[in-house]
Amino acid sequence: MKKNLTYILLIPIILLFYACVTDTDFNQAEDIALKPVIELDLIYFTVQANRFYDAVTQNQILTVTDTTEIRFLDDTGIQEALKRADFYFKFTNSIPRNFIAEFDFVNDLNEITYQTQTNVEQGTLDTPVVTEFTEIVQGDAILQLTQANKVIVKVTIPSSDETIEGSLNLQSKATYYVEY
Amino acid sequence: MIVCLIQVVVAVAQNKQLLYGFREIPQSLMLNPGEKVTTKFYFGVPLLSQFHFNGGSSGVTVYDIFGNSQVDINTRIENKLATLKNTDFFTATQQLEIFNFGWRSENELYFSGGMYQEFDFISYFPKDLAVLTWYGNQDYLNRNFDLGEVSTRADLLSVFHFGINKQVSKKLIVGLRAKIYSSMASINSTKNSGSFVSTLGDGSNNIYEHRLSNVNMSVQTSGLASLYDLKSPSDIVKKVSRRAFLTGNLGIGMDVGFTYDINNRWTTTASMLDLGAIFHTKNVETYQATGDFTLNGIELLFPPIENGGIPYYSDLEDEIEREITIDTITRPYSNWRPLKVNGAISYSFGKTVSGVDDCDCRSRGSKIDRNQSVGFQIFNVFRPKSPQLAGTLFYYRRFGKFLSAKATYTVDSYSFSNLGLALAADLGPVNFYLAGDNILRYDNLAKAKSVSLQLGLNIKIYEK
Repeated sequence: MKKNLTYILLIPIILLFYACVTDTDFNQAEDIALKPVIELDLIYFTVQANRFYDAVTQNQILTVTDTTEIRFLDDTGIQEALKRADFYFKFTNSIPRNFIAEFDFVNDLNEITYQTQTNVEQGTLDTPVVTEFTEIVQGDAILQLTQANKVIVKVTIPSSDETIEGSLNLQSKATYYVEY
Repeated sequence: MIVCLIQVVVAVAQNKQLLYGFREIPQSLMLNPGEKVTTKFYFGVPLLSQFHFNGGSSGVTVYDIFGNSQVDINTRIENKLATLKNTDFFTATQQLEIFNFGWRSENELYFSGGMYQEFDFISYFPKDLAVLTWYGNQDYLNRNFDLGEVSTRADLLSVFHFGINKQVSKKLIVGLRAKIYSSMASINSTKNSGSFVSTLGDGSNNIYEHRLSNVNMSVQTSGLASLYDLKSPSDIVKKVSRRAFLTGNLGIGMDVGFTYDINNRWTTTASMLDLGAIFHTKNVETYQATGDFTLNGIELLFPPIENGGIPYYSDLEDEIEREITIDTITRPYSNWRPLKVNGAISYSFGKTVSGVDDCDCRSRGSKIDRNQSVGFQIFNVFRPKSPQLAGTLFYYRRFGKFLSAKATYTVDSYSFSNLGLALAADLGPVNFYLAGDNILRYDNLAKAKSVSLQLGLNIKIYEK
């Protein structure tokens, strides 16, 4: 009886040791890649035509500029994970002038690490004109882009006077292709 | 082999269908304070009387993700992401008995007491956040991502208990156990709400609107704040383990149960365990985020140069902090323990255990114990989102005086093919038991959605 008992008791113990995790490969964990594609608003503005003319001094103001930080861009995590960024700019212009819009991405030392620009078609008050512009940044250029934590926006008009009317509107977004 | 053994232990849930009603194992009294106790005295070998680990996931197995396959692992994750629901969950429960004892008093009351340590964890699958993290929002414009799906809870505690069990009539045994909980650490984030959506804007601002709406998220913690400054893991272990001895946040609870012999063949039992709460008053920190916010990007205003620049980014950060406030609250809170309910009905047959057919004199003339029985058990544990139900069919058999076994077939949230086996051996006064379920998966635990394991060693003395 005792012998039988020993055998019976051995069964679950053997079963326990027999239990195993097989037919698996945990090294595959290294191949797991999160590749989210994130759509995010960037900057937007509306500049009135009179911003390009100083009524007091009666001087043209040919370039208006503004700067904003985009602190997340040079974050170490983003530097490592960002594979591609598509910037999309949509200008709606009712000012009867063409513009040059420049975007300078600069680092802490105000050194330009990446820049891009586009021409904006002139429009009229009655018929504003839409200009779309997409800048795709990838490969080595991403490394430069992610050194920056500020963007300087410059809008240059070829000429202006006190009668100039209308407005220039920008809406923009970025598509970030990230890989962890 | 050792690695495999550890994997068994780690892979092992709350339901102890194998131990419930298995009266040769003294720990069955912990699952039903109204269990029929046949010993005069028992005590568990300290730290060895019960080790229990029960872990599982309702929707995915290790094999689903890490199995050898020609299909790329990322594709397999995406396939699983598509089938998992926000009601799927991951659980882990571990219990270690520190000491446990019981004795029958002269007035026929059966007293039992002891202490055990427990870790209990559940996390529901926050599907929307998982999809957002995995894919991003590009393909999911206009989709409301539900932040309320976040529901997770983890408790590390010790439990001191003392119970009374009494045969009140020939047919009925009732039991009651009082419990004092000493929480060592606790995290609770189960009442969350809010949504996130990216939509095309109406043209007035920017291209998109990213909206966080009706956000009300909170994480209650107790026993953690004082650990943040500790540097070494051993200091943390030392500090946490000291709380096991009633210096943590305390709570009270009770277990109740009964055994009722319907007739000489049929018996029904039921119990309710951990009807109680822990009152978190010390070392409490609740982090709460509330509010609404819509992000349109950064609006440039092109101020005249002489006016200087505008700190748009800092302003945006300030606005977010203003609109979505994050508070640290030190107000006490209380948490219900996860209430467990067991019920069973069984039919006994075969030879009588005592060798007589008319009366079991050890049990004051109540129903005769026979060496075989079959029956049906139900188990339910109340979890944050919904109860987790399990149904079990069992066959019990006693082999002579030394050995008894119980085989179970369980249907639960994890699977429809869970077979379990428990063995209890009485070698003189030494009682050893081993119980494991999902044994069909033992050849490859990676394919199991849950495994439960209990083992232990007791000393039992019967009445002469």
